[in-house]
Amino acid sequence: MLGEFEYLLLSAAARLGDGAYGAAIRRGIEGATKRRCSIGALYTTLDRLEAKGLVRSWMGDPTPQRGGRQKRMVRVTGKGVQEAKAFYDAVSRASQGVGWATDRARGLS
Amino acid sequence: MMQFGWWLLSFLARALEPPERDVVLGDLAESGAGFGLAMGDLLGLIVRRQVGLWMSWRPWLALFGVCGLAGLSLSRIVFRLNVDLYKRYAAHYATDLTDRQELAFFLCMAGALLVWSWTSGFVLGSLSGRAVWLTWSLFYFVVLNSAWARFVLDGNIILRNPLTHEAPLDSLQGTLRFLMAATLPRTIAALLFLFPALFGAFVGVRSRTLAVPHTYLIGSVNVALALLTTWATGWYDPAHLPAGWPGVPWPVRLLPFLLVSWPAAYLLACTIPMGSHPKDQTRSDMREP
Repeated sequence: MLGEFEYLLLSAAARLGDGAYGAAIRRGIEGATKRRCSIGALYTTLDRLEAKGLVRSWMGDPTPQRGGRQKRMVRVTGKGVQEAKAFYDAVSRASQGVGWATDRARGLS
Repeated sequence: MMQFGWWLLSFLARALEPPERDVVLGDLAESGAGFGLAMGDLLGLIVRRQVGLWMSWRPWLALFGVCGLAGLSLSRIVFRLNVDLYKRYAAHYATDLTDRQELAFFLCMAGALLVWSWTSGFVLGSLSGRAVWLTWSLFYFVVLNSAWARFVLDGNIILRNPLTHEAPLDSLQGTLRFLMAATLPRTIAALLFLFPALFGAFVGVRSRTLAVPHTYLIGSVNVALALLTTWATGWYDPAHLPAGWPGVPWPVRLLPFLLVSWPAAYLLACTIPMGSHPKDQTRSDMREP
């Protein structure tokens, strides 16, 4: 089972698709949680996910905006998609009949 | 961010592996974060990486094996060489050895100290990787201070300021003198340890392993020096001990030299292939899939 931050990272990387790399994922997580995401937490979690085979990373091209430095590009693997889906399903099931979840669902409909 | 701020961040980022260093500095540049936030982010990652290094057995072996076992033995050798050099060339004690015998003894001890320091430094760097700044600093303090600290703790040496006769920590000046004595390499033997140990650690961090012929050479030289120093100390001891003292038996003299030679044995053991080295297992092979 994934951890909360692992799920946030996988979701941000999946949403970004081919444009997923460290700084962009970090912005994605910060945008979703409205909280600061540290570089330490991001890269150590990314390493853990890669060790579990849930993401794959490689060095991307340098850009002038980054002072000519490379990016760490990220792609979610098939196994990563399965794990993220399992986590989401578990959270959805656990949230059924819970006040804040039903209020939220009404608000969205 | 100011130029100095970037310089400082780039300097600190050297604690990270080169590919990650580049990525992290790029992320910080892209985020446009101020110096404080960028520094906090970078230090947070460095601390996590340093803690992560200690999840492996390698830095622990460096800590207990090299800093502890080899360091304590090297410290005794450094201390012994300092005392013998002082007695012969500063205090001019008669040792009943010929000049040629004394020269052979000092050359043997100095050569052994050089080789053992390099070998220990190399193995320390090889095992510690990016944790070498911590393990090497501890190694340095152990070698420089543990032998005489033992004599102080046993009450055989009493530390006093030579000018004021105060205990070393009784005044600010005394404390500073004490700290300088404990941290700076101020003797020939300390310098014979310092430079090879530093160089060995530098090579060890970079290359991690030696070529097989070099390993055999280092192993042979270590064994030869252990035997030579055992022989030379036996030859030296009875001459300057009071009459009737038989001197230390050779197995007892050999033991510290064997302990200090264990890093060479470790290098020899590593030449037997036992699977891939952690350095070969990069976090990702950094190629686009």
